[in-house]
Amino acid sequence: MNAIELHKLRKTYTVKQGSGFGRKTAEVVAVDDISFEIPEGQSVAFIGPNGAGKSTTIKMLTGILHPTSGEASVLGLVPWQDRSKLAYQIGAVFGQRSQLWYHLPPSDTFELLARVYNIGKNDYRKRRDMLIERFGLAEFLNTAVRKLSLGQRMRAEIAASLLHNPKVLFLDEPTIGLDVVACQELRDLVSEWNRQEGLTVLLTSHDAGDIEAVAKRVLVINYGRVVLDDRVVTVRRRYMGSKILGVKFHEIPREIRIPGVTVLKASSYAMKLEVNTEVASIDRVIHKVIQAGPVADITIEDPPLEEIIAHIYSRVNEPDYEEEVIGLS
Amino acid sequence: MIRYFNKFINYLGLALAYMRFNLRAQLEYRQAFISQVVAMFVNDAFWVVFWCLFFTKFPVVRGWTSKDVITLWAINAAGYGIAFSFFRNVNNIPYLIARGQLDSWMLYPRALLPHLLVGTMSATAIGDAIFGYAVYGFFIRPDIPHMLLFVLLSFGVALVFVSFSILVGSLSFYLGNVEALGDQMRGALVAFSTYPASIFDGAIKLILFSFLPAGFVGYLPAQALRELSFIPVLEVFAGGFVMSCVATFVFYYGLSRYESGSLMEMRG
Repeated sequence: MNAIELHKLRKTYTVKQGSGFGRKTAEVVAVDDISFEIPEGQSVAFIGPNGAGKSTTIKMLTGILHPTSGEASVLGLVPWQDRSKLAYQIGAVFGQRSQLWYHLPPSDTFELLARVYNIGKNDYRKRRDMLIERFGLAEFLNTAVRKLSLGQRMRAEIAASLLHNPKVLFLDEPTIGLDVVACQELRDLVSEWNRQEGLTVLLTSHDAGDIEAVAKRVLVINYGRVVLDDRVVTVRRRYMGSKILGVKFHEIPREIRIPGVTVLKASSYAMKLEVNTEVASIDRVIHKVIQAGPVADITIEDPPLEEIIAHIYSRVNEPDYEEEVIGLS
Repeated sequence: MIRYFNKFINYLGLALAYMRFNLRAQLEYRQAFISQVVAMFVNDAFWVVFWCLFFTKFPVVRGWTSKDVITLWAINAAGYGIAFSFFRNVNNIPYLIARGQLDSWMLYPRALLPHLLVGTMSATAIGDAIFGYAVYGFFIRPDIPHMLLFVLLSFGVALVFVSFSILVGSLSFYLGNVEALGDQMRGALVAFSTYPASIFDGAIKLILFSFLPAGFVGYLPAQALRELSFIPVLEVFAGGFVMSCVATFVFYYGLSRYESGSLMEMRG
C-alpha cells in the first residue's frame, strides 16, 4: 500500500513585482503538476535546488497549504481536508522551525505534546522513556532548550515528532547547521527508525550524506517538476562517469599514461587516479596498473554523491535534459 | 451532546496545560515577569487617578459620575486582562499569518483557532486583570450580587476583545500584513470603551455597537452594573457571540489563502 500518493499536484502563487504604484502581479508556479507514489515503509530523499518546490510540496502533504489543483493522499487522507485527523499519524521536522519551547526543557515540551496528541499517561511514559533511551536524551532532558547545542536540540526535536508514534515522518532539511558528528547521529537515528519501526520517511536535504545514509530512493525536483526518480544506488551508478582508483606499490612504479585517466595524487609508492569509465574501462586500467609495478593494495571508490547531485543540478538546466531523465523513472 | 462536552473538557485541560507551561516559561525570568505585571498595574492606576481628579472638578458628565468611570475602567481592564493573558496569541495572528508562521500550529491534531489562542500567555495582561478586580473591589466596594455580575461581565467583555482581535487579525489573509492596523484598532476599541458612552451620539454610537464594538465592552457592562440588570449582560454575550462567529468564519475562510513562509522560528 502507498503511504503517499500525488497526482498532478500544482501550487501557484500570485506575486507582486516591482515597487511603488506601478506594481504588477504575476503568477509563479511553485509545484507544477507533480505526481509520484511512496509505498509504506520506504525512505525517500526529495532533493532539488533552492526554490525547486520541495518545501511547498511537503507543506501540501502535511495539510499546511492548499494546492491550486491536483490530488494527494497521505495514509488515505486528503491532507488539506483532513488535517487534524492526519496530524495524529504524521510527524514533521522543519530544520528552520522548532516545536520545542525555547525557555523550557525538552521534558516539558514532551509533556505538553502528550496533551496535544491525547496520549494516555501510561502510553506516554513508555514512549517517552523509549525515546529518551534511543535518542540519548537523558543528559539534557531537563535543561532549558536555549542552553542546548544545535545537535542536542535536533535530537530532541525529532524525538518530539515521534512521540505520538507517527507512520510517516517528513523531514525538511533536518541537518541544517549541524556539525559532522551531530549529522551522523541524526541520520543513524532516522535510518534505524525507518528500518525497525517501518516508518515512511520523506526527507529534503542539500546534504548528500543525509541522502546516502537515510534514503533508498531519490526524487529530484526542479522548477516544480520531478526530473529524476530512481534508487540512490542506481543514481550513483548512472551519473557516475568516473571511479577513483587508489593503488599502493611494493616498489616505485613506472609512469602510467592511459587516455581517460588522471593522476589526482601521487607519491613514491602510492597514487590516486580518477578514471573516466566512458573513455577507459576499469579492468583495462587495473591491468595497466599491475604492469606498472608490484601492487600491494588497490581500492576502487565511487565519487562522492555531492558531485553527482551537483552534476544533476547543472544538467537540469540543459534543454534536452528533462526528456532524458523522465524516461529513466 | 456528551461528545461536545467531553471535547470541551479536553480543550479546557489543554488550555490549563498551556497556561502552566507558559507561566513556567515566563517565570524563567522571574524579575522581568513581576516587573511587567506591576508596571501594567501602575499604568492603569494612573488613568484612574486622572479620572478621579477630573471628576473632582466636574462631578457629573451627562449623568456619569467618578464611580461609573471607575467601574468602566475596572470592567475594561478585567476583560482585557482575561482576554490577553489567556489568549495572548490573538494579538499575534496578523504576525503569524504575514510571516507564514502558522505552520507549526497546523501540524497539530487540534482545531487550529482555539489551539492557537491558548498557545501563549501575557504577563502584562495578568496585571490588567488583577487591576480590574482590585479596583472594582477596593473603590466601589460592591455587594455580592454586584461582584458576581462583575466577574460574569468580565468574561463577556473578554469574549468581545478576543473576537474583535481575531477578526482584525484575520484580515492579514486578505490584505497582507495588518499588524499595525490591528494595534490601532485594538487601541481604538480600548480608548472608546473607557469614555462615558453617553458623550457619544448618533452615527458614532452606531459604530460603537458594530464596527468598533466599544459599546459592548464599556457602556453595556457599566449599565448592567449600575442598574444590576441582566438584559445588558445578555446583550454583551450576544454581541460577543455574533462577533466570534463572524471572526471564526473570516479566519477559516482566509486560511485557504495562507501562503506559509521560511523564516526561522522558536516557540515559548
